[in-house]
Amino acid sequence: METTPTIEDDDSSIVDVVPNTAPGVLRQVRQSLDPVSVIVLVAIAIGAYNFIDWSQIGTLDFGIIIKFWRPLATAAGMTIAITAAALACGLVIGIVLAILLELRIGFLRYVLNAYIEIWRNTPLIVQLFWVHFGLPMLTGISTTALQSGLLALTLQSSAYLADIARAGIQAVPRGQWDAAMALSLPARTKWLEIILPQALKVMIPPLGNLAVSFLNGSALLGVLSVGELMTISTRISDYTSKPIEIMTVVALIYLAINVATTYLTNRLERFAGAPR
Amino acid sequence: MKLFEFSEVVRYLPELWVGLRFTLLLVFASLAIGTVIGLLVCFGRLLGRGLLVRLCAIYTTIFRGIPEAVLMFWLYYCGPLLGGVRPSSLMAALVAMSLYVGALLSEIFRGGILAVPRGQAEAARSLGVPEFWVWTSVILPQAFRIVIPALIGVAALTVKVSGIASTIGVTELVFQANVIGGQSYRYFELFTAVGVFYFLILFPMSMIAKGYERRLMTRRK
Amino acid sequence: MERDQKPAPIVVCTKVCKRYGTFVALRDVNLDVSKGEVVCIVGPSGGGKSTFLRTINGLETIDSGTICFDGITIPGPARNVGLIRREAGMVFQSFNLFPHMTVRKNLILAPVRARGLSHAEANERAERLLKRVGIASQIDKYPDQLSGGQQQRVAIARALAMEPKVMLFDEPTSALDPEMVKEVLEVVRELAASGMTMIIVTHEMGFAREISSRVVFMVEGSIAVDAPPEQFFNAPSEPRLESFLSKVL
Repeated sequence: METTPTIEDDDSSIVDVVPNTAPGVLRQVRQSLDPVSVIVLVAIAIGAYNFIDWSQIGTLDFGIIIKFWRPLATAAGMTIAITAAALACGLVIGIVLAILLELRIGFLRYVLNAYIEIWRNTPLIVQLFWVHFGLPMLTGISTTALQSGLLALTLQSSAYLADIARAGIQAVPRGQWDAAMALSLPARTKWLEIILPQALKVMIPPLGNLAVSFLNGSALLGVLSVGELMTISTRISDYTSKPIEIMTVVALIYLAINVATTYLTNRLERFAGAPR
Repeated sequence: MKLFEFSEVVRYLPELWVGLRFTLLLVFASLAIGTVIGLLVCFGRLLGRGLLVRLCAIYTTIFRGIPEAVLMFWLYYCGPLLGGVRPSSLMAALVAMSLYVGALLSEIFRGGILAVPRGQAEAARSLGVPEFWVWTSVILPQAFRIVIPALIGVAALTVKVSGIASTIGVTELVFQANVIGGQSYRYFELFTAVGVFYFLILFPMSMIAKGYERRLMTRRK
Repeated sequence: MERDQKPAPIVVCTKVCKRYGTFVALRDVNLDVSKGEVVCIVGPSGGGKSTFLRTINGLETIDSGTICFDGITIPGPARNVGLIRREAGMVFQSFNLFPHMTVRKNLILAPVRARGLSHAEANERAERLLKRVGIASQIDKYPDQLSGGQQQRVAIARALAMEPKVMLFDEPTSALDPEMVKEVLEVVRELAASGMTMIIVTHEMGFAREISSRVVFMVEGSIAVDAPPEQFFNAPSEPRLESFLSKVL
């Protein structure tokens, strides 16, 4: 999955300043209800009134959620666990790949780059099916749905993380490498204590984006009935014949997990950036 | 059963071609609609005041924070709620993808516009150029050049996401591969072939995007 | 009986104040500039010189006070700022040329879009102005193909293309390599000699002394000294000005 960055700071200085006297309280209220906002709100209201089947909403039984909160919560935990595991393994593999690439060994670079490009430029769902249905035919080992899911997620995340790790390592100032060399530090110390910690700091924002991407991607594991949130939600939907309630809540759960992840990433960024 | 019987795959080319047509339909349609949505939401967030800005921010948060699979399922089942009519799986997938692409693009456009140096807009305004032309002649052309790599990335992402539509029954490429696989048990050959096919489309896109990025970097003084 | 010695001022700033949160950037700034005058604003960094210059053409808003430019007043109807911007040309420290347009297009954009000139008229004007600043031959090049000094001269020509009544310069030579400062100052000198009204924020003391009708010393957000150059540089009336001059001269 590709990641696009989220922009948090609302720097609207590129928009023209409107010279006015300082706005009073009344004007501020009036300003937030400017014509366009009002039109949009009215349009939404009209659309909601006309198109939404309110009578059906009345029949929705959200109590179902309470009845099934335990399986849902467990499944949500599964989702987080699977994603975390895949990202953790992927991170290790990705960092190893990035380091190997940095060593610039001719033919190895081609192999590793090919690996990265293959796993980045194919859809996750195809990888999933290939690992689960196709790979066993090649290797003779048949994997459980969970194993296949984890494997596919890990392999794909390792490719993305190799790229991110590469960027992070290259962001470490040249001078650090020179200093390490001048001090004759052994390779292990150089990597573990000097380069990687600084690289990791740079890697946090894209890591956060990737986490969200893969949390969303883990939903695909539902097609293999792995037992994470998507699987459980389809099962409960079929069982209770109330897909609307279940799906809505599940969507909100994913949203909550993602928002929390983004928030934690921001905190981590700030924490990592603070000591200067 | 021998392995690597790719001639078997060739047998099923017509079915795969059907799948490919649906994939292309999903990709191009959602990119087109998503662009419109993206532009509206982007400008709503940049130029609007108060509530509109908040609404647009919420839109992007929601549609980037919900898995596409969940969104497709939700639209497929909750369609009657919204329009009284049960949507076809194609419709549900299209709407879901358009909404998702729109959210991504609005962030990309916004990033591009904010990346244009402030001094450009200031210079244009201080010359007395009317606001409309400040945007269309100065800000947007530069913003566009900046985001080209990201736009290619979104197009690639759309191709990847189209595969998810198979989970709600849209007969695109991945769906067809599954169906054929069920009949012929040639899963390995099929998914390898399909994987290679996607790769042949996505890899050049990724290379072009990287090439553009490199050119952009060297152009900056 | 009092007689107006000078022509009526074209720029009148009265008690202009601006703050960023709790930080007061401009406090009760008063400045009158008459037609044909060249006013140089000097002072330590952070003193508010650039901020003040940018309030005149509305790039910065003001919290209180008035700015009257050729009869147009801020605060006022929203279109006033647009009207002022057409009559005030600004040259920036970082040139701000449009990188995706040729020099020619840089110059004709505003006259065509803001004054409704035809392309032919705008082109003719552009060629004339580029000749005036000495880079007629670069007209179809892109900004990144030009040196810093050339870019700034293009920026000056671009501002002149709107035939403004007043030219505002925000540290025009501060971002230039030393060998290119001279060519830009030459253009400014010629402009002053031709009678253009100018307000220049600068660090080039020698230049300020040479071409200005008045020199203004801004520090901590207000104007401390406003005097003709001989008096300003030779007999500084304020201790802060004295210490500033001793550091830069």
